[in-house]
Amino acid sequence: MASLRDVYIIGVGQHPCGKFPTKAAHVLGREVTWAAIKDAGIHPRDIEIAFCGHVYQGMGVGQRTLKDIGIVGQPVINVEGACGSGTLSFWEAWRSIAYGQNNLALAWGVENLSKIMSGGPLPLEEDDIEVALGMSMPGLYAMRARRYMDEYGVSAETLAKVVVKSRKHAAMNPIAQFRKETTVEQVMADPMIADPLTRSMCCPIGDSAAATVLVGGDMLNKIKRDKDRLPIKVLGIAAQSGGYSSATGLTCDPSENVTRTSGMAYEHAGLGPKDIDIAEIHDAFAIAELIVAEALGFAKKGEGATLIEEEKSNYDGDIAINPSGGLLSRGHPVGATGILQTVEIVNQLRGEATGYQVPNPKIGLIETMGGAQPAMDGITCVVSILGK
Amino acid sequence: MSEPEDRKVLHADLFTEDPEPRLIAGKSKSSGNWTFPAYLADPVSFQDDVEPTLLPRRGILHSFTIVRRSLPDFPVPFGLGLVDFPEQEVRVMAQVEADDLENDLKLEMEVETIVGIVRKAKDGSDIYSYKFRAIK
Repeated sequence: MASLRDVYIIGVGQHPCGKFPTKAAHVLGREVTWAAIKDAGIHPRDIEIAFCGHVYQGMGVGQRTLKDIGIVGQPVINVEGACGSGTLSFWEAWRSIAYGQNNLALAWGVENLSKIMSGGPLPLEEDDIEVALGMSMPGLYAMRARRYMDEYGVSAETLAKVVVKSRKHAAMNPIAQFRKETTVEQVMADPMIADPLTRSMCCPIGDSAAATVLVGGDMLNKIKRDKDRLPIKVLGIAAQSGGYSSATGLTCDPSENVTRTSGMAYEHAGLGPKDIDIAEIHDAFAIAELIVAEALGFAKKGEGATLIEEEKSNYDGDIAINPSGGLLSRGHPVGATGILQTVEIVNQLRGEATGYQVPNPKIGLIETMGGAQPAMDGITCVVSILGK
Repeated sequence: MSEPEDRKVLHADLFTEDPEPRLIAGKSKSSGNWTFPAYLADPVSFQDDVEPTLLPRRGILHSFTIVRRSLPDFPVPFGLGLVDFPEQEVRVMAQVEADDLENDLKLEMEVETIVGIVRKAKDGSDIYSYKFRAIK
């Protein structure tokens, strides 16, 4: 990789996750972008470029958002990469600074799903053959779950324990959508969505937004800031589109994409899985926490369940996975998710996750996986590694 | 088949409608690589010599689920499966039928290609397309 500038996150903002049908995307967006700018202590006009990740929020939502806080004229790029849209916008902001085009950038993600649907599976692209024939995200992950459970001897109760851990973490997170703890018995007794996934093994429909302000490392002491917030460094980052799974689709396994992308991010950072203290990963469905943890190198193939069974991935465990509650419990407002994950890691590294602070984390990882395509290992994957 | 000729059919270009329907895949003349559906070019060799070629009627059920909640227009429950054609190295996702969804579907079982109802149209009429059926 060419010699790149260091990039730091100096400001963050986030909105609670939940149902906010009266809050349009630009309203959610302006609240978090303003909060991030205030957190950074910069003047809004110092933002040189901005990237807005979303999936369903219509034309020009980025420009409509920033108009409301006086940021006009600068390039604003709306970014879509399915559920990876937020972190794809972050990657674009990082890129614009790392390669020297800009000094100060804003990246946010936003989604208001409750304006377009009340529940059920996310609407997918009907032009896709498989979607037209009945594919849904819960259906796809359910098939992954069934195969995984058969190959590695994992039970549905283990998937339920993922949800129990997720709810336990979220109970302490003030912005989480679900803050009530649950039990294995309750998760198993939930209505079945797609066997073996019950309702609480699937992420909820919800709305939110989150934002980050990024700056070049050489500008940290030059740019005017009225606050002295701890800068969080982007140690490594990579974005990949889905590839053919084993060339012609015999595996149809998104973890290939996660392995490939995280390998690039680890290489960029000069780090490996054992260096990670805390991670926010894309657990859109309970099975995903197991297969993604393996793909990231936190467990051997087929042994992701041990992290759950032995409580190694609790917020005070060997590696804290999804201390926010993850997509299952904090929520999964698709375009906002990647930035919500990023803000969570920043807050944890700053030591500001009051009530659920992971003990002294130094390095955190964010993994976001977007979309699904048969014969491909996903649509978008972004992995970033942050440190203080 | 006995259905009326004006029945609604989805993706009619992807399967044959004879009594033993088969899926129409793509096969590169030069590399011999298959895809379903046919891509514009072979994704491995990048040769654009892909020709429509029939997959075998029978495949192997790699995984499946019973969908209990879905988008509108899909009456639930229905079986959804990933079906492998190992010799061609092709995997196809489609609905899977069985007399008893709960008990008849097994991993690695043989399934065969059929044409059947896959969803409802906005006017409530049935829409047909390719799907698979468990072989007992």
